[in-house]
Amino acid sequence: MSEKKTTHFGFQEVPVEEKAGRVADVFHSVAAKYDLMNDLMSGGIHRLWKRFTIELSGVRRGHKVLDIAGGTGDLSYKFSKLVGPEGLVVLADINESMLRVGRDRLTDRGVAGNLVVSQADAQFLPFPDNTFDCITIAFGLRNVTDKDLALRSMLRVLKPGGRLLVLEFSKPQSELLTKAYDTYSFKLLPFMGKLVTNDADSYAYLAESIRMHPDQETLKTMMVDAGFANCEFHNMTGGIVALHKGTKP
Amino acid sequence: MVDPTLSAAATASLEAAINKALHYDPATRLRCQALAGKSLAIEIAFAGKKIPLCCHFEDDGIGISANVDDPTTCLRGSLPGLLMLATSDGVNLSEANVEAWGNTALLADIKQIAGDLDLDWEEAINDWLGDVAGHQLAEQARRQFRWLRDRGQSGKRLLSEFLTEELRAIPTATELKGFSDQVDNLRLASDRLLARFERLRAASNKDASSSNPTPPGHNA
Repeated sequence: MSEKKTTHFGFQEVPVEEKAGRVADVFHSVAAKYDLMNDLMSGGIHRLWKRFTIELSGVRRGHKVLDIAGGTGDLSYKFSKLVGPEGLVVLADINESMLRVGRDRLTDRGVAGNLVVSQADAQFLPFPDNTFDCITIAFGLRNVTDKDLALRSMLRVLKPGGRLLVLEFSKPQSELLTKAYDTYSFKLLPFMGKLVTNDADSYAYLAESIRMHPDQETLKTMMVDAGFANCEFHNMTGGIVALHKGTKP
Repeated sequence: MVDPTLSAAATASLEAAINKALHYDPATRLRCQALAGKSLAIEIAFAGKKIPLCCHFEDDGIGISANVDDPTTCLRGSLPGLLMLATSDGVNLSEANVEAWGNTALLADIKQIAGDLDLDWEEAINDWLGDVAGHQLAEQARRQFRWLRDRGQSGKRLLSEFLTEELRAIPTATELKGFSDQVDNLRLASDRLLARFERLRAASNKDASSSNPTPPGHNA
């Protein structure tokens, strides 16, 4: 008799086929107030983390960029300005609610012509091989069921020489910061979630999923194993967040 | 190494300040738009460290980043050298001890745009105080500025006259020029004398060698 394969959903072990649905429920629940909560939770610092990601992307006019788990379109907005009318930005997210918020927001900000929206699973990207000059996934990889499969899928659609940038919560580099961060994320974060979105569970999941996500070195190794070259990472805000960068050989 | 969060905060603040300033000079903003897609990287040597800064021209303003990636033009130099290059007319790269590579036409464009910069700072004050109070304040500021500029110019002239004419502590510009011309003439004359001396010595050596030929069978 074969044992049922499981994966983690926060601190819980759930069947592999259930994780995507559960993650989807979390994001359906928080989509409407996602930006507000991001600003509240990070004190606005998430904008600086995303800014650094854009700085390292090396995206220029005419480039094709895939923004996976692009959510409300923070990165896509900036990329659409950088690639210009001759370039292309694909805002992709598996979650329809998040994508809807992102699409409406970008339309309201006047982004059109060089941006398309695609509901896509990072594990099975629906794009031809060697399509994009740059792929970013910001605060999305930890929610993916099979991260190795997703990394290989990203490698496939990147052009040779193209860059993958993974912005994700990671492991703080000092003990003191770890303690303060744990207190903040397990006590204050669900309370804020309850107050603003009336949904403490989703923000408890956020804190748990961050702890279950691979640390800096492990994710770097995963990228190398998937086939990326020149892999490196930059710790930000003491390692609370790390930006991993890899190139398709 | 500085945490990227801090460097991103610094470049974000600088970028916001530059774009806010450009808001008050639409002509310069348009000229910057014409450079969209180009970038200028600057490596500033300061207090023993190298600080990279990259300025990207975009359709809707200027982007600043601390990461340099395949820029159109690069500059490398000390902070005083780069400031001298940016602010003084007629200073070339070697005088400022600044290295440049890449497309130097972009440098000329930027220098020209910076030279023509004319911020409507009264508009900026009006945004805060309203048109009437803002205009009054701007008029006051302009009067004060004119007074200070006039006093500065006349003060400079009076000091110069006092030092050269009354105290005779330093030479006048004309005297300095005369002296400089004399030094130039002396240098030219000494160069000519040296050349003549070298020619005479060469001729003398040639004569000596032709009058004392080496005896046959005598090997050195």
